[in-house]
Amino acid sequence: MHELRTGLACFLLLNILAGMVRVIRGPTLTDRFIVAQLFGTTGVGVLVLLAADAGRDALRDVALVFALLAPVTVVAFVRFAVGNEANGASAASDEEPRP
Amino acid sequence: MTDVLLDGCLALCLPLLAWLVLRTESLSQAVVLFVAFGLLSALGWARLDAPDIALVEAAVGTGLTGALLMHTLSWTEETPPDVRARARRRPWALLATAALTLLLGWAVLALPADSPGLGPEVEARREDSGVKHPVTAVLLNFRGYDTLLEIAVLLVAALGARAVNPRSERASSDAAKDPLTGELFRMMTPALLLVAGYLVWVGDHGPGGAFQAGAILAGGGVVAILTSRMGTPRMSSLRVRWALLTGPLLFIGVGVAPLLSGRRLLELPEKLAGTLIFIVEMALTVTIAMVLLMFFPGTRPSRAGRGGER
Repeated sequence: MHELRTGLACFLLLNILAGMVRVIRGPTLTDRFIVAQLFGTTGVGVLVLLAADAGRDALRDVALVFALLAPVTVVAFVRFAVGNEANGASAASDEEPRP
Repeated sequence: MTDVLLDGCLALCLPLLAWLVLRTESLSQAVVLFVAFGLLSALGWARLDAPDIALVEAAVGTGLTGALLMHTLSWTEETPPDVRARARRRPWALLATAALTLLLGWAVLALPADSPGLGPEVEARREDSGVKHPVTAVLLNFRGYDTLLEIAVLLVAALGARAVNPRSERASSDAAKDPLTGELFRMMTPALLLVAGYLVWVGDHGPGGAFQAGAILAGGGVVAILTSRMGTPRMSSLRVRWALLTGPLLFIGVGVAPLLSGRRLLELPEKLAGTLIFIVEMALTVTIAMVLLMFFPGTRPSRAGRGGER
């Protein structure tokens, strides 16, 4: 069972590695941010898988904290992006201005 | 086999992300990458069997700091330094950093592999500390002095943050009209309160404690500030001052009280230690949450007006 769980955690981590392509290439900041949030979701999955091992219960709390604080970052990001758009700047799409 | 693959993946991702954070052309990208980096480093701590550090990293390092950095972006137009050009201009700095890295790596490798450190001593005296988790026992009983001074440092940091940016805002009434954040706030608040309380309680016998709980509480406050549901905390407000001071004052009281009965400073009576630690941690949670909230500067004036019209 332990092998299966770490295998699955590995698979999730490889997904994060694949997501790195989007993080590096962007093109817009929003793409990068959404990938970072997806990393968060995947990371919570990995933590829950690791927490199933004996004596690792505390990792479930770590996953809980991550999941709870993720929306805070989203709200901060949206405020930042909206504020920029209203300001006429295109920092939310820092490389390619969206139509 | 899979364990090695998992650790290998993490070891590959972490330096890659760290490098990406440094070399981005814009600060906003750096912040987004930093959030991803924090997540992976928490996974790294989890793999290293250090759930306490993973929890702090999740709560303070990534969750709240990510939101704080993201929010602070709207206050700055600076472009980050070009690290590559800098490295070209100052090759000796690169050499010095490489030398330091090698030195640190050598120091880690030179550590005695099977030295238990102070672990057995903590384990032997844990019965007297009033809590079951060794980390909490060290932080709030054996080395309570350090934690007390740390809280004092936090207070100074909050004062510094307010000195740099003394502006504060009042709550605005049109925030209630925003259906999305309103619903989010309503759903989040009970969960945040519950988990914050849980983290203080669990600190007795597992990873948890005032810092993590404070960060969770502050997370709710941040959402309230960002959606103008709550004004930024003002130093002039008596309630804010009390929130900032309850933790340290209670801690000092608990620390000084043993002096009256002939014991030493911060020497908690064994029977009461568990209860005292719980009460102090509860008060510290409020203080830490308030200190963390003090760092949030509110919306930037020139953008706040236009941002609200949308």
